Amino acid sequence: MQCANEWSCISETGCDCTPFSSWAAVCTLAHILADTMTDSQTDGAATESPMEFYEKLTAQGEAVKALKTGKAPKEEIDVAVKLLLQLKLDYKRVSGQDYKAGCPPTDSPASGESVPAAAEDGDDLVDPWTVATSNAKGIDYEKLIVRFGSSKIEAELIERMERVTGQKAHRFLRRGIFFSHRRVQQPSPSALDMHQILDAYENKKSFYLYTGRGPSSEAMHMGHLIPFIFTKWLQDVFDIPLVIQLTDDEKYLWKDLTLEDCHRYAVENAKDIIACGFDVNKTFIFSDLDYMGMSSGFYRNVVKIQKHVTFNQVKGIFGFTDSDCIGKISFPAIQAAPSFSTSFPQIFNGRKDIQCLIPCAIDQDPYFRMTRDVAPRIGYPKPALLHSTFFPALQGAQTKMSASDPNSSIFLTDTAKQIKNKINKHAFSGGKDTVEEHRKHGGDADVDVSFMYLTFFLEDDEKLEQIRQDYTSGALLTGELKKCLIETLQPMITQHQERRKQVTDETVKQFMTPRKLDFHF
Amino acid sequence: MQCANEWSCISETGCDCTPFSSWAAVCTLAHILADTMTDSQTDGAATESPMEFYEKLTAQGEAVKALKTGKAPKEEIDVAVKLLLQLKLDYKRVSGQDYKAGCPPTDSPASGESVPAAAEDGDDLVDPWTVATSNAKGIDYEKLIVRFGSSKIEAELIERMERVTGQKAHRFLRRGIFFSHRRVQQPCPSALDMHQILDAYENKKSFYLYTGRGPSSEAMHMGHLIPFIFTKWLQDVFDIPLVIQLTDDEKYLWKDLTLEDCHRYAVENAKDIIACGFDVNKTFIFSDLDYMGMSSGFYRNVVKIQKHVTFNQVKGIFGFTDSDCIGKISFPAIQAAPSFSTSFPQIFNGRKDIQCLIPCAIDQDPYFRMTRDVAPRIGYPKPALLHSTFFPALQGAQTKMSASDPNSSIFLTDTAKQIKNKINKHAFSGGKDTVEEHRKHGGDADVDVSFMYLTFFLEDDEKLEQIRQDYTSGALLTGELKKCLIETLQPMITQHQERRKQVTDETVKQFMTPRKLDFHF
Repeated sequence: MQCANEWSCISETGCDCTPFSSWAAVCTLAHILADTMTDSQTDGAATESPMEFYEKLTAQGEAVKALKTGKAPKEEIDVAVKLLLQLKLDYKRVSGQDYKAGCPPTDSPASGESVPAAAEDGDDLVDPWTVATSNAKGIDYEKLIVRFGSSKIEAELIERMERVTGQKAHRFLRRGIFFSHRRVQQPSPSALDMHQILDAYENKKSFYLYTGRGPSSEAMHMGHLIPFIFTKWLQDVFDIPLVIQLTDDEKYLWKDLTLEDCHRYAVENAKDIIACGFDVNKTFIFSDLDYMGMSSGFYRNVVKIQKHVTFNQVKGIFGFTDSDCIGKISFPAIQAAPSFSTSFPQIFNGRKDIQCLIPCAIDQDPYFRMTRDVAPRIGYPKPALLHSTFFPALQGAQTKMSASDPNSSIFLTDTAKQIKNKINKHAFSGGKDTVEEHRKHGGDADVDVSFMYLTFFLEDDEKLEQIRQDYTSGALLTGELKKCLIETLQPMITQHQERRKQVTDETVKQFMTPRKLDFHF
Repeated sequence: MQCANEWSCISETGCDCTPFSSWAAVCTLAHILADTMTDSQTDGAATESPMEFYEKLTAQGEAVKALKTGKAPKEEIDVAVKLLLQLKLDYKRVSGQDYKAGCPPTDSPASGESVPAAAEDGDDLVDPWTVATSNAKGIDYEKLIVRFGSSKIEAELIERMERVTGQKAHRFLRRGIFFSHRRVQQPCPSALDMHQILDAYENKKSFYLYTGRGPSSEAMHMGHLIPFIFTKWLQDVFDIPLVIQLTDDEKYLWKDLTLEDCHRYAVENAKDIIACGFDVNKTFIFSDLDYMGMSSGFYRNVVKIQKHVTFNQVKGIFGFTDSDCIGKISFPAIQAAPSFSTSFPQIFNGRKDIQCLIPCAIDQDPYFRMTRDVAPRIGYPKPALLHSTFFPALQGAQTKMSASDPNSSIFLTDTAKQIKNKINKHAFSGGKDTVEEHRKHGGDADVDVSFMYLTFFLEDDEKLEQIRQDYTSGALLTGELKKCLIETLQPMITQHQERRKQVTDETVKQFMTPRKLDFHF
């Protein structure tokens, strides 16, 4: 129950926090169970109508939700979920349609206008609140690109980037961690996002970066840093303004926290973000709760967006229901607004034509699909997007990171010893059971979490490839691979902790004060 | 199409502005037509099911809406409305339930939890967007009090008020124009709103006033001044802080206007409000668009309220639908927030226990029912309320004031000559057709708009009573009554115009700057 709508929910796969995402998680579970239950599909339900199944299914969905909310015993929930699955299969058989909560069966299924955020693809489920898969390798990103309608970052784009900026592409780009982007102009398929941005850079036209985080607790883990590490690199390469949104209002709306706690988490998280090395003269970090009351532009843009998005639309995109509070329903406009330069008149001098580039984990894409849809209708340019993959939990890409389980993740506050113990004890291994077997057959790097982490954090491409080959051949043992990861992470985290110690309240205040940055507009 | 959700929609009876209220208006019209159409009720529809009627009825409602939106010829609309009515009657006969848009027929009608704002009572319809009646005397306020669950302001309360404050009660109280109030403590029925406020006053405990206006155009008419005239009097009597909200964001959301226009109307309207004589040291006027970006407390309270109100609730209270934009859906929290003193930290020094008293037209009550429901759940005192009646259009209490028809109302910019002409030509008269008849039978003051206006604006109780008697007896002719009204209004409006001329941009800026007022908290 802890990662509802993480801005950078990179890693907390499968968390079932909100009523909606818990419902979605149930559906996924149902999918997974489906394979084992095909035998019971056929008993005597053929006489019932689609509507009857729909109603039964809705009722059972509510029942499962109630059980989960009431923290019922696991077995009880499992039984209820199995029944739900059975009903779902029956429903599909009878109606020829997939069950969708809130959508009774129709004769001609015509409600496919907006891609629902919670669309499932095989065993994967990705929306701003939930990331779940049953595959040890993690989410199938190729499929996700097709479903989300974004574009893969091809080698050619990365090469152009290196050519234009004169710098080597970040390892996140080289290794497909930032793997997808979105077209700026829908009608012109050749003008891809990053290409457009590179055009702008070549033509000395300015743009700015926007990313963010949902401050759900004081503790941040390694995965939370991915978008910030990458954004820092983009800022260094392009030398452009950066705004970082901390959605403390959203955390208050989604979780059982006080406004004061959420705001405190925002300030604490800001320290970890600042410790990534951002330049105070080029970076503005803001808490929604504070900045809404300090800006002449932010609320105006929020209202403009809110006028142009209906409940039907957010229902389709985010799966909101009639029982959701009106704060959740209107929140997407608040994450959308910083995509428009007029939300920051102090930085952009009131100009409304500055293009925005948003690096974020791909589960945040629904917010920005909505934003891109609204932009031309309120006279603003569409933001460009760079999507990252998810950071896996120590236990494997198909399990969830949980703040209540400190062993599911490496936190930025962990000691060198804790890091060592966590990796040695908990990092899911693709190695074989015995040394003999491993030497003979080799390990599976694709499912090995230690190796996955190295792709995120080991800078040296050749060394990484050597490790992959040695591990796959069996020359490198699991313990040796883990040792390599430990030696990579320990100094990284120690250095982060040292940099964070340098971040005073005064520094935070500087970053979070609305002001002109070192750019002239 | 011009008074959607007027903060002080005192007079614009029956305007059909939003999709919702236009639908409601259709229902009312249907009610009115009902009496004349009872003959056609019975032909051959008995074989159809309630659901079939429901669907037909919904379709016909849409058809009527489309005709109205498309400005179809009146006869065509009338025919469509008649059919709608017929279906409605059939539906009620078959299902035993009243038709409600969006609510299919149920076996046990159980959705009566929250009083819908658009509840109809006989021929009256009152919600924040629509005020409609078929009665020439206007809305039946006794019934409205019962339906809204508020309390009538009794003579005893007015006497206590005069005793406690040492001042004569305002004519709006003496004459039942402010006629209703709301209990502060539901469980303790003896502690009525105004009584509680008077207790506070006697105990030197402070409270503050909150009222507002939706700035839908530059032009304000006499009716718009009612809450401000009364609020000014309350401020003078009690010597307490006053905050005035201009909901320019709401006008932008509901109407086809730009953000800039709405904000400009807010500033223009502020001039007319200031011209009522408010003390700049005791009064804070704010535009939502501006103040949201200037206050550390306002947005925080908005989010708190938004967390505690669901879409189901606002659907029940305001009749929102899934096609409404998310801005409308979340707006009620913005009108609610100024009821809590922490929205104005600069005035109340961060104190959260200052009680709020809201004088407003009774059509705004749904907002504050919601506010009172939320208040204890977020740790704030419930606001107290004083409700006013509606100000009638010149053509009579059952017609609508329309900004596109300058003759439906007396504007604050009208010249003495225009006032004279409007009253003489357009004020609905309760007099008889000929002088002879009038002398013989007398006039009907209850439906006479000139007399109604005098109850609002003639200070002298004895003179008003004399006029009523003379008019009813026939001693006073319609022309003489109108002359009396003209002579009352002309100097009032002239003086208002002179005071407004004195209001400089600098004065407006002073009133609209967040600042400490002359009160110590």
